[in-house]
Amino acid sequence: MLIIDDLTVRYRTAGGEIEALSSVSLQARRGSTLALVGESGSGKSTIALAAMGLLPAEASVPSGRILFDGADILTMGAEARRQLRGSRIGLVFQDPFSVLNPSLRIGDQVGEGLVHHRGFTPEAAFERAIALLDEVGIVNPEAVAKAYPHELSGGMRQRALIAGALASEPELLILDEPTTALDVTIEAQILDLLEDLRARRGLTMLFISHNLGVVRRIADEVAVLYAGQIVEQGATEDVLQRPAHPYSKGLLAAIPRIGRKTARLAAIPGRLPDLRQPPTGCRFAPRCPFATSAETLRETPWPVQADADVVKSPSPATQAATAEPVVAVEHLTKSFVLGRGTLRFEGWRPVRDATRIRPVDDISLTIAPGEVVGLVGESGSGKTTLGRTILRLVEADSGVIRIGGETVSGKPQSALKVMRRTAQIVFQNPDSSLNPRKTIRELLGRPIARFSLAPAGEIPRRVDELLDLVRLPVHYADRYPHQMSGGEKQRVGIARALATQPRFIVCDEPVSALDVSVQAAIVNLLADLKDRLGVAYLFISHDISVVAHLADRVAVMHHGKIVEVGQADAIMSAPSHPYTIRLLSAVPRVDGPPHVQPKAGRAAAVPA
Amino acid sequence: MAAYITRRLALVVLVLVAVSMLVFGVTTLLPANVAYLILGAFATPEQVRALELKLGLTDPVWQQYLRWAGGFVTGDLGVSTLMNRPVGPMLLEALQRSLMLTGLSFVLIAVIGVGLGIVAALRHGRPLDHGVSVATYLGIAVPEFFWAIVVIIVFAAWLGWLPASGYEPLSAGVWEWAKHLIAPTMTLVFGHLAHVSRLTRSSMIEVMQSPYITAARAKGLPERVIVLRHALRNALLPTITVLALDFGRLMGGIVVIETVFAYPGLGRLVVFSIQNRDLPTLQAAILVVAAIYALANLLADLLYARLNPKIRFGRHVA
Amino acid sequence: MPLQLKAGLAITGTILLLGLLAPWIAPHPWDTISMRTRFLAPNATYWLGTDEYGRDVLSRLLMGARLSIGMGVAATLFSLAIGVPMGLAAGYFRGWVDEALMRLADVLMAIPPIMLGLLVLAVTPPALWKTALAVGFVYIPPIARLARSVTLTLANEEFVQAAKARAESTSYILFREILPNAWPPLIVEASLRVTYAILLGSALSFLGLGAQPPSSDWGLMISEARSFLDRAPWIALAPGLAMCLLVIGINLLGDGARERLDPRLKARLGKA
Repeated sequence: MLIIDDLTVRYRTAGGEIEALSSVSLQARRGSTLALVGESGSGKSTIALAAMGLLPAEASVPSGRILFDGADILTMGAEARRQLRGSRIGLVFQDPFSVLNPSLRIGDQVGEGLVHHRGFTPEAAFERAIALLDEVGIVNPEAVAKAYPHELSGGMRQRALIAGALASEPELLILDEPTTALDVTIEAQILDLLEDLRARRGLTMLFISHNLGVVRRIADEVAVLYAGQIVEQGATEDVLQRPAHPYSKGLLAAIPRIGRKTARLAAIPGRLPDLRQPPTGCRFAPRCPFATSAETLRETPWPVQADADVVKSPSPATQAATAEPVVAVEHLTKSFVLGRGTLRFEGWRPVRDATRIRPVDDISLTIAPGEVVGLVGESGSGKTTLGRTILRLVEADSGVIRIGGETVSGKPQSALKVMRRTAQIVFQNPDSSLNPRKTIRELLGRPIARFSLAPAGEIPRRVDELLDLVRLPVHYADRYPHQMSGGEKQRVGIARALATQPRFIVCDEPVSALDVSVQAAIVNLLADLKDRLGVAYLFISHDISVVAHLADRVAVMHHGKIVEVGQADAIMSAPSHPYTIRLLSAVPRVDGPPHVQPKAGRAAAVPA
Repeated sequence: MAAYITRRLALVVLVLVAVSMLVFGVTTLLPANVAYLILGAFATPEQVRALELKLGLTDPVWQQYLRWAGGFVTGDLGVSTLMNRPVGPMLLEALQRSLMLTGLSFVLIAVIGVGLGIVAALRHGRPLDHGVSVATYLGIAVPEFFWAIVVIIVFAAWLGWLPASGYEPLSAGVWEWAKHLIAPTMTLVFGHLAHVSRLTRSSMIEVMQSPYITAARAKGLPERVIVLRHALRNALLPTITVLALDFGRLMGGIVVIETVFAYPGLGRLVVFSIQNRDLPTLQAAILVVAAIYALANLLADLLYARLNPKIRFGRHVA
Repeated sequence: MPLQLKAGLAITGTILLLGLLAPWIAPHPWDTISMRTRFLAPNATYWLGTDEYGRDVLSRLLMGARLSIGMGVAATLFSLAIGVPMGLAAGYFRGWVDEALMRLADVLMAIPPIMLGLLVLAVTPPALWKTALAVGFVYIPPIARLARSVTLTLANEEFVQAAKARAESTSYILFREILPNAWPPLIVEASLRVTYAILLGSALSFLGLGAQPPSSDWGLMISEARSFLDRAPWIALAPGLAMCLLVIGINLLGDGARERLDPRLKARLGKA
């Protein structure tokens, strides 16, 4: 169906020419699903654009062919290519929030391909769009067809996009990270839908993703992409259970698994090679632990670095019984006004009804010294607001907050200096959390100076110590944030939180913006620091596997309430709340029994 | 939508009230003794005192303001101290002439500016785009009064095609009337085209690079459909706001242009009344301009809301 | 360095230099009236001709450069000095502070700039420094609005939360965390504002509410030359073209600088 043969793509950029793909060869058989897996910068989206004939003007293709049903997409005329797009090949993009035109109705956007490829009248296309929306499991298709994109939730938009891609009954569907922007439960629904559509329509799918669990659920075959090259290709179960290439091995080992708790995750050291001058030979060699050995790779597991100077702190459970909790909140509530209604009068009194949301709704929680409490929930569940409310970065409406034995709720901000030293925070996005105009030395030195933790002359040495603590080279002190990689920046963010020698840190999605291999290293670092310094974390994440790996206890949050809290192992193996059960079953896994398609032929959209 | 309009209208009224206070406040600071102006330089202090009492000039400022504002609301705009006749009809006449000038210029600016912007964006990086960019750079850089002078030098002094200044009513013949309008209109259009075309160009380029345009391409739609149906609507939204702002700029522009071309409109009236300390005329003229400006902005906001579904419907289906 | 920036620097730099050196390099006295040399067309002695009082146009032009640039820069500095703190406060504190400051800006923006300038200047006898002040006053609202929108974006950045989390004072957050990141877009805007200020200031001078005779302010020069357009167009053309060149130069500078703005910051700030 789709054959990519020896494809090389280069991009002209300000910094020189980048080779995004280097002689990539792929084959997607008719009626099967081929998954392309890789981390950011691997070139996987470039393949999608190339296959659609949509490469930007800065791209050049020095070699290769892309054969669709025997015809080369790269050499055919622009008009012929246009006829193919949206007609025989459909494309679904990653971000359902920006690929729908904000000023056109959903139904018009879903049906418009039919007008131009199949000669439908706009009215007939709109009717057909309603039928398509119904087919992708949208409950009230007439209303949705008449709606504008901003009126729909992310999951609904993604369904509408899929409906649009299916409109002209394409033979090949290319999906570029179609579920990455969605919550796991919605992701599970979309994956079910895709499975179902493929079965009924005999589609061929090229599925691009960074998530191996998702790939396992949907793909027959998988190709692993690293730095513009395919390092391994084969049947999905083969590659996932018995990876041959060191990179695939590393990638798999870096994923935390629910129900199989290890002390540390495997991390892949180093970073992507510079694609302006791609190295000759194996591009993974500089990061490969097997590069110099002659072992039989299939049998050798990826090595896990144990931290040499781990001093096991006393088990949190025993500590919790004896010590006072480092954090205790009772009946914490926070609500926001979303929008105000129209002005009306009650007698002479003007009234405006406010729509309120309550992201933190009567929450009580304690965290013992040195304990890691994982906070899981989907987007909008209120977990970030809870974290910030505890630290009084967001002011609560009501409730009591005690940190380090001090009651901090009700005090003015100016009286919180002790608490601010005791409790710190690590943010999700290191690009946003580090002031781009300050050097690392300034960033790390400031909290030390602010809390007078060292005389001015001592500060440079303290900064060096902090860098050492998060395993960054000391000479990084003079760099600016933009001169570092995402993982390195996140280490600085952690070092900054540690600078005040806190007893408690709110980790707000600290690894969500990172690739799996980097994520593993940061998770390990956090685990080591906890063991060494005895600091407690409130670890917030939407990724249950990461939480399960790191946390002693887990709290599950849903619509502003904690619906379940308990020992991590207990919750993972025997969840009791229906929401927790739903959440856990939605997580795509890379091991365990293969996913079984739910019996219902059609996945109905649950309103988000 | 009705609530939105009501709210916006209320805001316009509030702004106008504030502007009227500002205008009144500033003008009462003017070193002009109205009584002297009326009575002439040889008036005795007793005469002045008597007239001041009669005109209520000795009352507290806020009482004077309320009286003035009250008159404004009921349509009594006061009496010009210079011309010694009611401000209202005088202002109306000047306003009509100015609106003729600005209206004509505005239509030309909108049509040519948006057209040039779109063409340049679609030829992004090609010679035509560069040509338009250079031309608009000149448009932004050249002060209006200099354009006016260039137009006079070329069309009046050198070619002798157009009169250098003045105004003829329509009753004097269509060509006579039009002849006096061409030069000032041309000047206003030159000076204001650039903002509109530059903004249209940049917002069109931005929209053409947005993900939903790529998505439309991925559907295999013809380029014509992509531009007209998907891009234009979204690209013109910011242009609407700028057009409204530009209408305001035009109302400012007429001050200079009407002075240069001796065109008897609102702008010239403002300059004239400042030079001659004619307070009632000045206050009324500026307030009228502010009102037109505020209404233009309101209209733009409503149009924007009408075309933008995010504002038009504040509801969520799911 | 991009061509745009180079050209902008060259043009603006040259004019600035000529203006600064004017008293020493001007070929003739700029203000000596001589009835014998009236209305001379450009020639070898008077490169740009003479005006209705027989004064050398080139010398007047050079002396006028410092007036125009000085006026524009002074006006912009004034609007920055007031507008930036206003915008910072409005964007950071939100709520009623924001509402009050922005409604104030609405009121000032409801009158076209030139009329607001006229209104302000009408109160006192005209002088160039007052024009600069008035122009600066008129451009406070747009500067404040930009500063506000930049601050709104930056205040949501996590590094501001991080600063709060270590109990930094509000003034530290505003001036040490937010302001350094707000400068690049503000500087670019300010450089473009200088051109607006020059244009508006010269228009006010042109209308007689700025520099007064015998000053050689460019706007005033053009205004005075109006009566002789048919006889001696060079008197008006010289300052007019000089002003175009200056404005183009500064525009190129500003646009060039905008292109060089940290692209990551630019993307984050959107069209602010």
